[in-house]
Amino acid sequence: MPKKEWIAMLLAGGQGSRLGVLTRHIAKPALAFGGKYRIIDFSLSNCSHSHIDTVGILTQYKPFLLNSYIGIGSAWDLDTSDGGVHILPPFVGEQGGRWYKGTANAIYENIDFINSYEPEFVLILSGDHIYNMNYEKMLDEHKAKGADVTVSAIQVPWEEASRFGIITTDPEGRVIKFSEKPVKPDSNLASMGIYIFKWKLLKEALQKDEARPGSENDFGKNILPMLLEEGKRLFSYDFQGYWKDVGTLESYYEANMELLHEEPGLNLYDREHPVYSTIPILPPQYIGPNAKVSNCLVANGCTILGEISNSVISTGVTIAEGAKVEHSILLPYTTVLEDARVYRAITGEKAVIKPHCILGTESRSDQRKSSIAVLADRAVCGGSRHA
Amino acid sequence: MEKMIGIISCNYGLEYPEGIGERRPLAAIPFAGRYQMLDFALSNMVNAGIRTVGIILPSNIRPVLDHLGAGKEWKLGRKEGGLVILQGSDSGIFPRSNGFLLRDLQKNTDYLENNAAEYVVLSNCSNVVNMDCRQAFLQHKKDGADITLIVKELIAEQEDEFGLIAVTDRSGWVLNFEQAKAKSGQSVQRFANMIIIKRRLLLDIIHGHKNIEYEDFMEILRIHASKLKIKTFSIPGYFGRIDSKQTYFQRSMEMLRPEIQKELFWGSRQILTRVRDRPPTKYGPISSVHDALVSSGCLIHGTVSQSILFRGAVIEAGAQVINCIIMKNCRISRGAILENVIVTKNAMVHPDTVIKGRPDHVMVLNRDDGF
Repeated sequence: MPKKEWIAMLLAGGQGSRLGVLTRHIAKPALAFGGKYRIIDFSLSNCSHSHIDTVGILTQYKPFLLNSYIGIGSAWDLDTSDGGVHILPPFVGEQGGRWYKGTANAIYENIDFINSYEPEFVLILSGDHIYNMNYEKMLDEHKAKGADVTVSAIQVPWEEASRFGIITTDPEGRVIKFSEKPVKPDSNLASMGIYIFKWKLLKEALQKDEARPGSENDFGKNILPMLLEEGKRLFSYDFQGYWKDVGTLESYYEANMELLHEEPGLNLYDREHPVYSTIPILPPQYIGPNAKVSNCLVANGCTILGEISNSVISTGVTIAEGAKVEHSILLPYTTVLEDARVYRAITGEKAVIKPHCILGTESRSDQRKSSIAVLADRAVCGGSRHA
Repeated sequence: MEKMIGIISCNYGLEYPEGIGERRPLAAIPFAGRYQMLDFALSNMVNAGIRTVGIILPSNIRPVLDHLGAGKEWKLGRKEGGLVILQGSDSGIFPRSNGFLLRDLQKNTDYLENNAAEYVVLSNCSNVVNMDCRQAFLQHKKDGADITLIVKELIAEQEDEFGLIAVTDRSGWVLNFEQAKAKSGQSVQRFANMIIIKRRLLLDIIHGHKNIEYEDFMEILRIHASKLKIKTFSIPGYFGRIDSKQTYFQRSMEMLRPEIQKELFWGSRQILTRVRDRPPTKYGPISSVHDALVSSGCLIHGTVSQSILFRGAVIEAGAQVINCIIMKNCRISRGAILENVIVTKNAMVHPDTVIKGRPDHVMVLNRDDGF
């Protein structure tokens, strides 16, 4: 394998259990988002725009859809012969097989893969996050500061700081403390789970940590604190911009709905940094003569004959005449039949809402308080009762 | 060994549809929101299993090449064969022929000699059609024809210039074909600018003629017609021919009909086209859109009705677009009113501009027209 300056290792093995039925059959990074994307598109597109041509994707939980979606990486220009995208599931060796025990362990098990490219640096990413970022700038800073590790961090509202891994830095940006979900945070700089390591250093650290009994083999909880203790040069990289970890149903719903704002935090319209994705070639969307569309995001291949408002309508969705969809997210190929009603709901891929069926709670007075109805992939909401 | 290879001629039709695009060949004219005319001919061939297609380029190669890339989207980025770029003969005169220049074919006999396929499908890019070429090919073989002309059988609605019409005997063998006018009510078999022919026969015909100016290949065929066994195959479904600004507009508006969308785009044979990574289209809170075909990446705050929007079109609040075609990246500013207009790519229509064409005489706005 040719020597690379850096390669990316993308952690995509998580279940995202707090997303309920939406991730019952698929890994979280494969979850549809924003009408035509899947969550992993953002990290992969960022790699492409950062001119990274070699990405190892670590899968574990129900990877089937994710694997076939990624394919050979053509959508992100990662179909090259000397690098490209590599799916890395847990595997069996001479000593038997092991599941990945933690984020750091997943990388540890793939040391041979990384070694084959002899990179100087390794970029660790998560496939769970929604954001646009150029990692090259982070690498430039990493090199300029002579850092051993650079952690990308974002300022979060103080009242939310306790939910994150918090980084405390000195005025030069050198990390002096890590606090995992601190009760009383002394900083509001949250770790984004994006790290650049000197490869030699990371390799040693992984081997050391693997030998420690009781370690959770996790970057945030084990590797970084260990390196900090050893006096290594850890720096934070200040990320400015939109970044969201859509780990819960509420945050997933919110992130999609935010795209409907006048000026959404996540800019999908930047022609310099388009988000790439793999979708089939479908005709443009058709809006019927009696349709009403208001404040919606609609993807290609949709046929809208009914009323939709304040909703995200994904690829290939069909909405029949008389049907009404409000404040909802319809995942790809959902079918809403005649006179059905969908309120404040998320419908899984290929779900069907039968004629006159009502999904969700129509709450006129306080939309926010009512919970989000969720219909699983391929589920059918039938009859005229609440689902 | 492949049974069939294809040749698509893009080296003609440079002067029409009038005014649409800076002398872009018809092959590169955008259609139905996200396609280009070339996509139909190319997809029909690929869907019939053809994996080697020669594209005869016009002298203005960029629009066609920019769209085709390496042919990946049409499954033609292959180790052997695949997309083959063929040079068109330079045309000091922009040809406005029915089909294919003999010169273009003569220039590219290498492509035909170097392939061992038995049959060749030739097509141009003036038609909107999703057809099963395999069916046509099976009939061609079964009947033992030398040449199969793909036609569309229809009833002439009015006395009209009908282009090339096939005249057949009762068993369907072609006796002659001619440029003809048809009488109202007359049933005609209109040539659809596509033929299936044995490769060796095609080469013999090409070699048999020393180059004569800008002769149309179909003219040459006509000379030989009496000596050849020529049959017709009629396209069963929708067939839209484009040969003028008006017909381009009419065919475009037909794309708003769900039954035609279904036949062309939602059947088992897909029309393949280039992928452009645009975000989903956004409809604002006060937008009003009815009976419209809308591509990705658009931002709509105004009124759109009976229209086609290509990717990245922006319709500002207070703008009204009725019975129009708005091509890619156009901006229709607030208060502008457009009716029966085609706005070509990257144009901006200034606020409060009112432009109304007539359904039978649509207006074309280009970026440099200063509206």
